[in-house]
Amino acid sequence: MAQPYTTWFYDGRSAVRRHVVIDTAGGQFHLVESGHLHGPFAFSRLVYSGQQGDAHVYKHDEIDGWRMGLEGDIPVALESVLPSQNRYGSWVDRLGLGRAALVFGLLSAGAMAIILAAPQWLAPLVPTSAEKKLGDALVGDFGGRFCNTEAGQAALAKLSSGLDKDVSDLDIEVANIDMVNAVALPGGKIILFNGLLDNAESADEVAGVLAHEMGHVRKRHVMQSLIRQMGLSVLMGGFDGNIGGTLNGLLSMGYSRSAESEADRHAIQALQRADISPLATAGFFERLANMESMDSVESPQTGDSDQPETEKSSQTGSAASDTESFNEAETLLGYLSSHPLSKSRKTAFEKSHVKDREYTPALTQDEWDALREMCANDADVESGFGFDFGSGDSGNSR
Amino acid sequence: MREHFDKTTPPSPEDSAFEFSGNWGAFGKIALTNILLTIVTLGIYRFWATTRERKYLWSETRFIDDRLEWTGTGLELLIGFVLVILLFIIPLFIIQFVQQALLLQGQEGAAAALTFVMLGLIFYLGGLARYRALRYRLARTYWHGIRGGSDDQGFSYGWSYMWKTAIGYMILGLLIPWSMMSLWNERWGRMSFGQHQFSAIGDYADTFKRYLLFYLAPFIFFAGAVIIGIMTAAVDSPAMAGISIILLVLFFYLGLGLIAMTFYAKFYRVAIDGLSLHKLDFGFSAKTKDWFILLLGDAGIWLIAALAVALPAITIIGTSSLLGGFEMPQPGEDPGQLYLALLVPILVFAVIPFMLVGPFIRYRHWRFFITYMQCYGEIDLEELTQSDTSTSKHGEGLLDAFDIGAI
Repeated sequence: MAQPYTTWFYDGRSAVRRHVVIDTAGGQFHLVESGHLHGPFAFSRLVYSGQQGDAHVYKHDEIDGWRMGLEGDIPVALESVLPSQNRYGSWVDRLGLGRAALVFGLLSAGAMAIILAAPQWLAPLVPTSAEKKLGDALVGDFGGRFCNTEAGQAALAKLSSGLDKDVSDLDIEVANIDMVNAVALPGGKIILFNGLLDNAESADEVAGVLAHEMGHVRKRHVMQSLIRQMGLSVLMGGFDGNIGGTLNGLLSMGYSRSAESEADRHAIQALQRADISPLATAGFFERLANMESMDSVESPQTGDSDQPETEKSSQTGSAASDTESFNEAETLLGYLSSHPLSKSRKTAFEKSHVKDREYTPALTQDEWDALREMCANDADVESGFGFDFGSGDSGNSR
Repeated sequence: MREHFDKTTPPSPEDSAFEFSGNWGAFGKIALTNILLTIVTLGIYRFWATTRERKYLWSETRFIDDRLEWTGTGLELLIGFVLVILLFIIPLFIIQFVQQALLLQGQEGAAAALTFVMLGLIFYLGGLARYRALRYRLARTYWHGIRGGSDDQGFSYGWSYMWKTAIGYMILGLLIPWSMMSLWNERWGRMSFGQHQFSAIGDYADTFKRYLLFYLAPFIFFAGAVIIGIMTAAVDSPAMAGISIILLVLFFYLGLGLIAMTFYAKFYRVAIDGLSLHKLDFGFSAKTKDWFILLLGDAGIWLIAALAVALPAITIIGTSSLLGGFEMPQPGEDPGQLYLALLVPILVFAVIPFMLVGPFIRYRHWRFFITYMQCYGEIDLEELTQSDTSTSKHGEGLLDAFDIGAI
């Protein structure tokens, strides 16, 4: 080196700041402090530590606390042997901020697209037996709350077999819980809550709801949303809780909306095949919509089973939106709520009604009575929940 | 080489042992590039962002004659985060699933027991997290090439945290100042810098009067409410009733908050005044008024962020008929696919102002603490040697997971 370059130095053992001259010899250097020699140190062991005021500080990767601060203009010969300075982190520094942002942005968009799309083709790959086990582990005998009478079960069997070609892999139950709701759970489990039967005016209405839940099962929505939820949690894990949770919730909500529509389409087709009038279901949705537009805080269908996101369920119950009238802003909010507005769902069922067609009732009056009164007539069924499940809004949203 | 600070003469900012010399502009550049990289990496960059922020704040902080240096890395914060996911979040997920299954199957007792165990575990880990965050921060803070740390892993502190907090809440919460101060002293008493052990001997009794003020305020408030109620009934004027209701609500939300703040101001002064390291005594001079200004500024930052999101949002909704995109989706369509492309940019736009809130609040709080930190006594640089405490390879993952902020 042409002329001596003065710098400050901590040896990492004592807190004394030493003023030294760098004496370079090949890949190594000594630090000379008024006659006392520190070193030799290898340039290859140095790591850039950051800027401290005017000084660029280097540390030694093997000696704790070893620091060398270079102030002012660093001689070119010295700069060439020093490690490069880092700023954003080594990957970003290598690419440059703009290019790194672009590359990471594209990678993230790709990862997001895969995570969002993958459940659709991953869900069918999950063996039915595994899904069944998951469903059994979760529900078991539902704490003895499933209602069971011979006539009631016969009516339920008739209702379901009319709506699906092969119901042997489905597990449809009526639970003695007073909620206007129904859920599809992992493993082809469908639970109709007794409150739904109480509030339905005919078996045809229940048929529409049941067909909707069957749609969730047949389209593997439950497994899909389970996988999507897990994928999104991992993907968004980097954001801190609030932001990640919000993004996650909004993204999966968009998908739960489309799942609801898909299940509705399935239900409309099933009703058509079974020769059951869709107008009954439309009427049911209209009543839900009216309940919704009244005071949604106390409406019975909002108190659903409040599933954590892992055991995601899809319900027929209405959206827990606080909309009182419809204008554009509230339609926007309606989109963000977890279920399609009952009014628009109602229209779809209405449209599928064929004029002058002779529809047959889903059940005879006796069968319908047997189904409705199954819980009341079952002597040893448990009722309600030992715990208050809370009155959170619908389980799909959070 | 000796530095001497006299306690008798109140230090002017130039003479104070601590000084912060950062500026908004330089920090803003760091914060903005951090947000950009955090968004494009779906949040993973956040750990490196934290590191860059701290490197800046530390390097702009002078203690006596040299700046502080932050040497933590983004990678070790990421490792800490992953550890928490593996050891804590995933088991928690499974426990929740089991608990839900037990509940659905009518095993309420077992579900309740499981909940109890789970809450106990979270409680313990909360204490452990506070301890380890402080240890991590000291181990990564260098001054004159010397760092701090602790050889105590903090597992026993986790137990202390549980029983002391529990005792604090017993006897109608009257012992809360004791538990807070005792835990502060225990935490700091196990830390060291260089070869010296910290000593923390803050006395909770000094904060107790302020605490009683906070503690008794609701009772005084209740008595006041009764008196105002009687007066209002006597006067029988709706306007008077309205005003008194507003006053009561204001007292409850603002008054109680302010009284709590007077306690915290006192608590930090007493706690830090009780802190010393070898021949150095620390002090903290922020009064309630200073804390009030600090928090008022924080609220202002939130307000600005909210306005920055709300004003454009209102404009967009107002003209949404022009967009025409938000019609009611019909079951025949696939709304998820349709709006996702539109939804993501809107979300990103709405999130950015709020993402800026955190960095600027952290900047203000750091500046606040450094500005009011004091130090007296003397330090012998010849005699101060490197810490031999072990350092962990992972950052404050637990603290991050619990979203706990410590100084």
